[in-house]
This record gives sequence, C-alpha cells and structure tokens, in this order.
Amino acid sequence: MTGGREVSRVAIERIDAETCTGCGSCVDSCCMDVIRMDDEGGLAMIRYPEDCILCHFCALDCPVDAITVTPEKTGPLPLSWG
Amino acid sequence: MKEVSTVTDVLVVGGGMAGSFAAIRARQQGADVVVVDKGHVSRSGSTPYPKNMMVFDPGARGHDLERWMGEVALTGEYLNDRAWTEVVLRESRQVFDQLVSWGVGFRKDADGRILRNWGVSGGIESVQLEADSLAPTLRGQLLRHGISIVERVMLTELIVADNRVLGAVGVSTINEVVHVFTAKAVVLCTGASSFKPYGFPLGSVTGDGVAMAYRAGVEITGKEFYDTHATSARHPADVRYLSMERPSGQMPPLGLRTAEGETIELPGPTTLLPEFEAHAGRAPLTPVGPGPGAPSPCDAGPGPDAMVGGAGLGYGGVGEGIWPADGHCGSSLPGLFSAGEACGTRVVGARYPGGGWGVPSAGVTGDRAGRGAAAWAVGAETEPIDGGIVAALTASALAPLRRNGGFGPDWVTQMLRNTVAPYYVLGIGKGDRLEAVLTLVGFMRDHLVPRLMARDAHELRKAHETRNMVLNAEMKLRAALFRTESRGTHYREDFPARSDPDWLAWVVLADRDGHMTPARREIPRDWWPDLALPYGSRYPLAFPGEDRPDETRQPLGAPAQGDDDGRQGGVAGGD
Repeated sequence: MTGGREVSRVAIERIDAETCTGCGSCVDSCCMDVIRMDDEGGLAMIRYPEDCILCHFCALDCPVDAITVTPEKTGPLPLSWG
Repeated sequence: MKEVSTVTDVLVVGGGMAGSFAAIRARQQGADVVVVDKGHVSRSGSTPYPKNMMVFDPGARGHDLERWMGEVALTGEYLNDRAWTEVVLRESRQVFDQLVSWGVGFRKDADGRILRNWGVSGGIESVQLEADSLAPTLRGQLLRHGISIVERVMLTELIVADNRVLGAVGVSTINEVVHVFTAKAVVLCTGASSFKPYGFPLGSVTGDGVAMAYRAGVEITGKEFYDTHATSARHPADVRYLSMERPSGQMPPLGLRTAEGETIELPGPTTLLPEFEAHAGRAPLTPVGPGPGAPSPCDAGPGPDAMVGGAGLGYGGVGEGIWPADGHCGSSLPGLFSAGEACGTRVVGARYPGGGWGVPSAGVTGDRAGRGAAAWAVGAETEPIDGGIVAALTASALAPLRRNGGFGPDWVTQMLRNTVAPYYVLGIGKGDRLEAVLTLVGFMRDHLVPRLMARDAHELRKAHETRNMVLNAEMKLRAALFRTESRGTHYREDFPARSDPDWLAWVVLADRDGHMTPARREIPRDWWPDLALPYGSRYPLAFPGEDRPDETRQPLGAPAQGDDDGRQGGVAGGD
C-alpha cells in the first residue's frame, strides 16, 4: 500500500543516534506523527517518513541538532491501486 | 479496544489561534473547557506560520474605517460580509493587545517601535509577528488558564441527537484508543480545508471540522474560491526555497517574469494571474524582486527560483467554512460553534485584500465563539447520550482498522490530489471539466472511501483525513459548478465575467436527503456595488475572455491601487 516508502525520497533523512538524547521534543514538534520514541533504545526514530511535510520544526526544536531535513521529497509511484 | 470518556462544558476542537481564544474566553466565563488536537498544540495546524497580522488602530495615520471597508469590498469583489468585516476590523486591536499582554513577539525597528507593513493591495496595514512566538505562547496561556489539553486525538464525528450537539467521537492517532467526549457545546477550530499540498506544511489541515459539521447537516459556504499559491520549481516540496516565502524575506515579489522574458506586475496576493500565465503557456514564471537599491527578498544564494503551482489549499475561513448563524459564530445546529478558518465569515470576500487577516479573524471569532459556547453551556444540561449512537459512531470510526482488504489512504489521497490539484480544475474551471472531475470524485466517495483500510492508529487518522478531503473536493466542485460567473479567485472559462446583480450572492452547501445541495444566500442590497458605475470601476481586474464594454481594457496585471508611497513591503505569505 505504501510501496513508496522504499522508493521515495523523503524530507526527514536522519536522526543521529550518537547525538540524540531521547528528550522527545521532536516527537512533540511533529504534527504529522512522523517521529516516535523507540521503546527499546529510548531514542527518537523516524517511523513514518513519507508523511514529512517539511515544516522543519523537529530540527528547529532539537536541542542537540541531531536531525537532518533536506528539501528533497518525491511522492509515491502512481500505482493503479494501492 | 480501550475507550476513554471525557465530560466537559465546552469542547474546543483544535488548539491554534482560534481554538486558544475560544478556550480561554469560555474558561474565563466559568465553563469547564477541554481542547482536543490531533497533533501537538503549538506545532499543529496553520498557527505556527503567519507572519503578519492586520490591526485596525483608530486614530493611527491612514487607519480610516470607511476607506478600509471600501478597500476590502473592492478587492473582495463585494462578496465580503460587511458586518463581519467591520467586526474583525474593530476588534482586531483588542486581539493584538491581548497577544501583546500574553507575550507574543512582534518585530520592532531600531527604536523599538513595532514594524508595520502596508498591504500589497492598498492602504491596509499589518504588523509583523516574530518567528515562532505566537503558537508556543498560546499553548502556555491555555495551560495557565487551567484548560485541559488532549493531544494526538482526531475527532471523526459529532454526536447529535434531538437537533442538538452532545459531544464528539474520535480516535487516538498513536494507539488504538477510542475517545468519547460529552459536551454541552462544541467549538470547531479545525482550520482550513487543504489537500495535503506539497510545498506547504499544511498536511494536517484537512478540513476535519467542516466535514464533521457538513455530515451533521450544517451549511458550508465559500467553497468555490481558490487559494492560489506557488512553490519552488527546484524544491517543490519546500516552499521556503521560493524567495517570496522565505522567513526573513519580508518583500513580496512585485512581479513575475514569464518564460518569454516579459515582466508582469502582480496586482496583489491571491489573484489567479500565475494560473492564467501558466494556462497561456508562459510558465515557468520567476518572481521579480523590488529592483536595484531595495532590500533583496532573498535570504542568500542564487536568485529566486522559478515557481510552480502549489496545490489549491482551500481558501481558508476568511472566505469559506461553516456558515455562522449569529454574531457568536453559532451554527444552525444548537450547541455547535466554529471559529478561525473553519468559520465561514466571508470577512474578505472573494479574494484577500492582502495578507494578515487570518490571525485577527481567528482571534475575533475565537473570542466570540468562546463566549457564545460558554453562555450556551451555562443554560444547558449535560444530556445523557444514547449508548447505541456512540456504539455506531465508534464502529464507524474504527472500520478502516477492521477491514482486511481495501485501499490505503496514501493511495486514495494521491489519486484525489492528481484529480483535483491541476490548475485546470479548481483554478481555471469550466463546466465540462468540473462535471468530469466531479464524476471521478463521486466514484472515490462511493467506492474507495467506504473501503479505506488502516494497519495502525497512524493510518487510521490518515483514512479519516482522506475521507474528509474527498468530501471537501466534492464541495469545491459543486460550489464552483453552481456559481455560473467569475469573481475574485473563482474563474470559469465558460462564464468569464462577473454577473451583477445575479451573483451578488453567496453559495451555501448542505446535505439534503443524502445529496449535497447548493443554494444561494442573497447579499443585502446595501452592500451591493453601485450598479450605475461602469463595470471597470466596479472590477478593476480584468479576467481573460471577459467582455469589458464600457471602458478601456485594463489587464489583470495592472498596478495595485492605493498609496504606493506607504508601501514598505507588504506581505510575504502566511495568510
């Protein structure tokens, strides 16, 4: 159904696990629910990258500058059904 | 399935500018208030983004009520509700003072005076919001006023019985939990109705409140108008790469350079001029800055990107939304109120008179709806809700999770956007094309939406958003078909001129026996333009294909009216 997830270029690229402190501010900052906390590692993880709308608030709100957002984004392939 | 029940006097849906004002005012009147938001209050909806705020300041130089009213009527092509225009103008200063008292930042000059811009189209003045001050400050005020905030919950349906709203049902967007709210009054502050456009960070603004109100039988207005926006050709998903939208770029483009090298002047924001140029084969278009010696509109780097069309976002509540039945933004459904961009005050009519109207309109309508909802709640009892109604609404809300087969919301949304986003549907309309697209959207409504499926709570939210966007598309198409003329940001190739006095009327849509039915609401004669004036005086902007018999043709790209010497920049997006 969201076959685009693997082939699309997504805007939010990376949360640096070395830098992330697990404060959760990026989870709050995302109105699209792209970012969730990883229950096991206690760090933020990109869970639904295809829904990023490039508001940039996750990166702006991150106190340790761990998040990379690029202006690139492409949509999913135009499938006949999905 | 876990179910969470909440009982309150006033349920405010959406925690942006309108919702914050509504909630705080209702709380100050003594009501218990809960704010529910499908994101995180301060990062949700459109409230994080406005740059400008129109403030009418009696006594300030150039602030003349009659002249500003005239300006709005002229640019709004007489489709503004003059009562609401006057209310928003008169009460904008109170909203501004309230924001200042709460600590919202406004940009100042070196001497500490608050900066003002003149609107692009004539002498309407705005002040400039500091970046990222408004929304976080509003969140702090909600908490300070003791208002409960429920986040990551999307409401799917109002609970209605005996012609009264009794609450709402919703679902968590992060885990499989149903929320049932019992409330004496509900205030819908859910923002505008967009189609998750690329380029603008409005993917959460899917018209959920307007859709719920429509399904509850309430009238919706203003859907025929189009919000024309462009984005960057180089990075279409990120509008900030278009110089005119860059955060520190307060200068709007003064014109557009066409592919043929011709420079055309922009007559103001939200005209269909870019669509007309693209339609004529003169795209790509490049914004043209203010010229040598003036501040650059660009942050840095190479010159402005060429622009491509952003998707029509929906016109927002300054033009469209739930028909307000009274001065407190009540509706035809007792107990239901709306505010902000979900409330169809038609304050600026068929076209923006310059940016900066969204914030004061949301503050004024939020304030009024909050007071109205609190007053209603004081006189109302909490009605017991029939368990059968809640069970049915809950089952409907969860249905996409329960389906084993069907269609994913991402795919249906993509197909919907492919169908309605091209400029030649809602931007430059024509009866046959609108009918054709309506047929396709009708198929989506009847066949795809009932088979939407979701794998988890995240996708369940998207399934409901998709359902609401399909409904919004049908509303926009039916309203555009019904208005057999062109006016403001509504253009029909088959009816390319304004039709006075036939279409000095608003369009309302309502569910009548299961069918979306358009109807007219006449504009009071006192608010009509002087029909003895030449057509070109009533309508300075010419549409392509329009017969302008009584005057020299003035192209759409004609210079803006108003005092040019006062123009210090105007408005760079952020309605």
